[in-house]
Amino acid sequence: MTATDTPMGTAIRAAAADIKLSAVTKAYDARNVVIPPLDVELRAGEFTVVLGPSGCGKSTLLQMIAGLERVSEGKILIGGREVQELEPKHRGCAMVFQNYALYPHMTVAENMAYSLKVAGVSKAQRTERVAKVAKMLGLSDLVARKPGQLSGGQRQRVAIGRAIIREPGVLLFDEPLSNLDAQLRHDMRVELADLHRRIGATSVFVTHDQVEAMTLADRILILNKGRIEQFDTPKAIYYQPASVFVAKFIGAPAMNILRVTGDGDTLRLSDGQVVANYAGQGNFQLGIRPEDIVIGAGGRLKAAIRYREDLGSHEIIEADLAGQPLRIATPFGDEMDKTSSFSFAFPQTRLHLFDAETGRAIPNSFRQAEAVRRSAKEYQ
Amino acid sequence: MSLESSLFSHRWLPLLLAVPLMSLIVLFFYVPVFQAFYWSFFLEQPFGGGSQFVGLQNFERVLSDPEFWMSGWRTIVFMMTASSLAVVVPLMLAVAADRKIGMSLPARNILVWPKGIAGASIGVVFAFIFNPFVGIMAPLNTMFPGLWNPGIDGTDAFITLVAAHVWSGIPFNFVILLAGLRSIPHTMYQAAAMDGAGPWRRIFDVQLPLILPQLFLTFVLEFTESITSVFALIDTITEGGPGGSTTLLVYKIYVDGFSGYDLSGASTQTVLLMIFVVLLAACQFVFLGRRINYER
Amino acid sequence: MVENARSINIVASILLLIGVVYIVGPLYLTLSTASQSYEFMLRNGVAWYPGNQLFANMGKVITETRIPIQMLNSLLVAFFNALATCALSFLSAYAIVYFRVRWAGLVFALILVTIMLPLDIRVITTYQVASNIFSPLNAVLDVTGLNDVIASVFGTPAHLELSVLNTHFGLIAPLVAHGTGTFLFRQFFLTLPKDLLKAARMDGAGPIRFLFDILLPLSRTSVASLFVLTFLSGWTQYLWPLVGASTPDMQTAVVGLARLVPDADGQVPDFPMIMAGAVLVSLVPLTMIALLQRYLVQGLVLSEK
Repeated sequence: MTATDTPMGTAIRAAAADIKLSAVTKAYDARNVVIPPLDVELRAGEFTVVLGPSGCGKSTLLQMIAGLERVSEGKILIGGREVQELEPKHRGCAMVFQNYALYPHMTVAENMAYSLKVAGVSKAQRTERVAKVAKMLGLSDLVARKPGQLSGGQRQRVAIGRAIIREPGVLLFDEPLSNLDAQLRHDMRVELADLHRRIGATSVFVTHDQVEAMTLADRILILNKGRIEQFDTPKAIYYQPASVFVAKFIGAPAMNILRVTGDGDTLRLSDGQVVANYAGQGNFQLGIRPEDIVIGAGGRLKAAIRYREDLGSHEIIEADLAGQPLRIATPFGDEMDKTSSFSFAFPQTRLHLFDAETGRAIPNSFRQAEAVRRSAKEYQ
Repeated sequence: MSLESSLFSHRWLPLLLAVPLMSLIVLFFYVPVFQAFYWSFFLEQPFGGGSQFVGLQNFERVLSDPEFWMSGWRTIVFMMTASSLAVVVPLMLAVAADRKIGMSLPARNILVWPKGIAGASIGVVFAFIFNPFVGIMAPLNTMFPGLWNPGIDGTDAFITLVAAHVWSGIPFNFVILLAGLRSIPHTMYQAAAMDGAGPWRRIFDVQLPLILPQLFLTFVLEFTESITSVFALIDTITEGGPGGSTTLLVYKIYVDGFSGYDLSGASTQTVLLMIFVVLLAACQFVFLGRRINYER
Repeated sequence: MVENARSINIVASILLLIGVVYIVGPLYLTLSTASQSYEFMLRNGVAWYPGNQLFANMGKVITETRIPIQMLNSLLVAFFNALATCALSFLSAYAIVYFRVRWAGLVFALILVTIMLPLDIRVITTYQVASNIFSPLNAVLDVTGLNDVIASVFGTPAHLELSVLNTHFGLIAPLVAHGTGTFLFRQFFLTLPKDLLKAARMDGAGPIRFLFDILLPLSRTSVASLFVLTFLSGWTQYLWPLVGASTPDMQTAVVGLARLVPDADGQVPDFPMIMAGAVLVSLVPLTMIALLQRYLVQGLVLSEK
C-alpha cells in the first residue's frame, strides 16, 4: 500500500491484487447448492462486474471473497495467498454495501476512520487520511455530520470513502447504486469509473443492471444459477453471447430468439419462410437483436404488426412472425402502414445460432461482426 | 436466520454471554417449576421433615376439595370480568386518544402514571377510598344503610378488586393499543373516507380490524396478568374475605403454603394453575392467533 | 380531511376526561387525605380538599416507621434488577442473534417460556430454592449416586446449604430470571440492517468490538426503555419481597406500606399517615415516569412486538 500525492490532490493508491477462485463451492446442504464448483481468475487492477438475475449466487460469490460467507469447498487466492479460512479483516478487501451500512451513531469522519481505528492506526494519521479521502470524494464539508443528515448520494460517497481509506488491494461492491435515482446513478457511475482509474484496486462489482455492467466493466462475469454463463469484455458479450441466457440478458429490448429448423441448406420457420442459409439439420434457436433487423430494402421475410411503441428517438415494433413474437427497433417506423404486414431482412452477419436443447451458442455459424475480434484484440 | 453465515462463529464466546442469564433462569425458573411437579407427587413434611411418594394422592385430595373448585371458579370469573374490562376500557381510551383533539396529549401522558404505582400501593389506597365508614361511599351508606360494605358483601369486595385491577392495567394496554392505532397508515383512512365511511364507521371497519394483533396480544397477556398480579390487590384490600369470597387461586396457594405449611397441596395447586395458564395461552394462539396473522 | 367529526370528537373528549378522572381521582384523594389530620379524617372521612398536614404526616412516616430504610431497599432492588436485566438480557440476545450457534433457537425458547409463568405463580417452590440455592445440586448428587461415593470416602454425604432469603441478592435474582429483556433486545437487533455486521467485520471489528463500538451505542434507547421498565417493575413488586424478606429492615417499601394498615379490626387506622406513606412510596417511580416517559412508552411498545 502506498500513499502518494498527485497534482489532483489524490492520495489514495492501492496495490492491486489478483483474485483466483478454484473449485469454489457453496452449499447449505445437499439439496440447497447455491454455487456448484466454480473456477475464475480476476486480474490485478481489473474492474469485473458480476451480472445476473436475483438468486443467481452473485452476492454469495462476493461475500465469499470478502470472508462474510464461508466457502463450502475450494480455494480462494488473493494476491497469491490462500484466504478462504481467514477472517474478513485479514484478506485486504473492502466493501461498499447496497444500503451503505453506515454506522448511524458515528459522524462521517468516524465512519470512514473506523477500520483504521480497529487496526490501531494513530489518531493523527487517521485524521490525515480522512481529510484526504473526504477531499477526494468532495465530502470535506460534511465530515462532522451523521449519516442521517446526508442525502442518498452523499451517503454513497461516505460508503465508498470508508472502503477506500484503507487502500485495499480489492474493492468489493454489492449493488451499491440500486438505491439511487436514475440521474444520481448515472453520475455515480461516471464517478466510480474515474475513481477506479485513480485508485487502481482490483474491483468486483455485483449488479443486476446491464447498463452498469456494460459501462463500468473491463470484463463481465455473467452468472446463472451459480454457474458462469460467460466471462468476457462487454463488447464480446454483446456481439458474441455464449448462450441464449446471455443473449436475452444483455441488450434492451432483449434479443429475439426464434425456433427454426435446418434442412441441410437453410433454416426455416414453421410456416416455411427461409430466415438464413446454414448447412445443418435439426432444431435450432436463432437469435437476432431488434436493432439489427433491416426493414424494407427488398427483405424476403414477412410478418404482421401487432403493436407499435414510439419512444421518440426510435420505435419498437412488436410483430408476429410465423406464430412467434418478434421485436424490431427502428428509427424509420413512421413510414409504415400501421396494420398491414411488412417485409424485412435479417442480415446474416448479425445472426446468432444456439443449440435447441442446451441453449449454448454454436460458434462460427455465420460470419460474425468484425468489431468483436477487433475489440477482443484491443483488450489483450 | 440460521443460513446467515456472515455471523460470528466463535464457539465458547456466545456460551459465555448467555450463561449468566441462563443460570439464573434455570435456578429460579426451571428448578422451581420442576420442583412444583415433583412435590405434587410427594407428601412433603414442613421444616424438612422428609418426604414420601404418594402418587396421585395429592391431586385426588386437591381435586376433591370444594375450596379448590370455589377459588378456581372465582379465578375464572375474575379473569373474565377484570381482564375484559382491562382491555376494553383502554381500547376505548386509545381510540379516543388517537383523534386529534385537545384532550389527547394530556390523556396520553396521564394514562401511563399507574405503571409507577405498585399494585399493593393502589390496593391500600382503594381499601381506604372504598372503606364503608370513611371512604367516598360513606355518605351514601348513612342514607341507605348497608348499600356498600366490601367487608361484609362479597360482591362489593369483588367489584373493588376489579376496579383496582383495571386501574393498574390501563397503562400497558393503552400504550400497546394506541401504538397499534398509530401504525395504521393515514392513506387507509383516506381510502375508507373515499369509500364513504365516516369516522364512526371507520372505528369498526378499519381501526379495530387492523389492531386485532395488538388486541389479541393484550388479551393473552392480560389473562395471565389478571390471574397472578391480583395477589397484591387481594392481600391489601380484602385478604381473601369476606368469608373467602375473594380467595382466588393464587392467594389460596400462598395461604396454604406459607400459613398452612401444606407444601404438597400448594405445589399441586401450583401445578394445576401452571397447566391452566399454559393451556389457556396455547388455546388462544391456536384458535385466535392464526386467523389474524396477516401481512399489512 | 374535509368531514364533520364533531360528534365523535365530543364523545372522545368525554371518554378521555372520564379516563383521566379515573386515574387521577384516587391519586388526588390520596394526596388530599395525606395532607389532613387524623381527627379531620375521623370527622369527615375522605378529604376532598387538601389541608396543611402533609409534611407532618410524612414526618410521622419517616420517624415512626421503617419506610425510609425500606425505600432504600426498594431503590437497591429496583436499580440492580434493572441493571442486571439490561446487562444479562443484552448479552444473551447478542449471543442468540449475532452468533452462528445451533442451540440458539432452543435457548431462546427456554428463555421465552419464562414470560408465560410469572414469579407469582411459582412462588412456593421459588421460595424453597431461595432458602437453599444448592438444593438442586444436592438433589443431583443424591440422584446420580455421587453422594454415596462421597459418603464412603468422607464419611458423610455432601450437603451444601446457602440461603439467599433476607438478602438483597435473593430479592433481586428471581426477578432477573425473566425473558422479556432478551425478547426485547432480540426484536430490536433484528430490525437493524444486516449489512451493519458485515460492514463492521470488513472494517476488522471482532465480536467484542462490534458489541461495544456499534451495537451498544445503537441500542441506547432500547436499553434505557428496558431499564425504566424493569426499574418500575422491581419497585412495584409485592409477593416476592413479601416472602423473600422476613425482617422489616430487609423488606421493600411497598411491603412496608401494606404492613402499615393494622390487621385487626376495631379502631379506624391512621389513614392520613398511611396515605402519606403511599405518596412517599410512589414518589420515586412517579418522578421517573414524569422524566423518562418517552422511554417507558417505547419500552412497553417494544416488549410487545
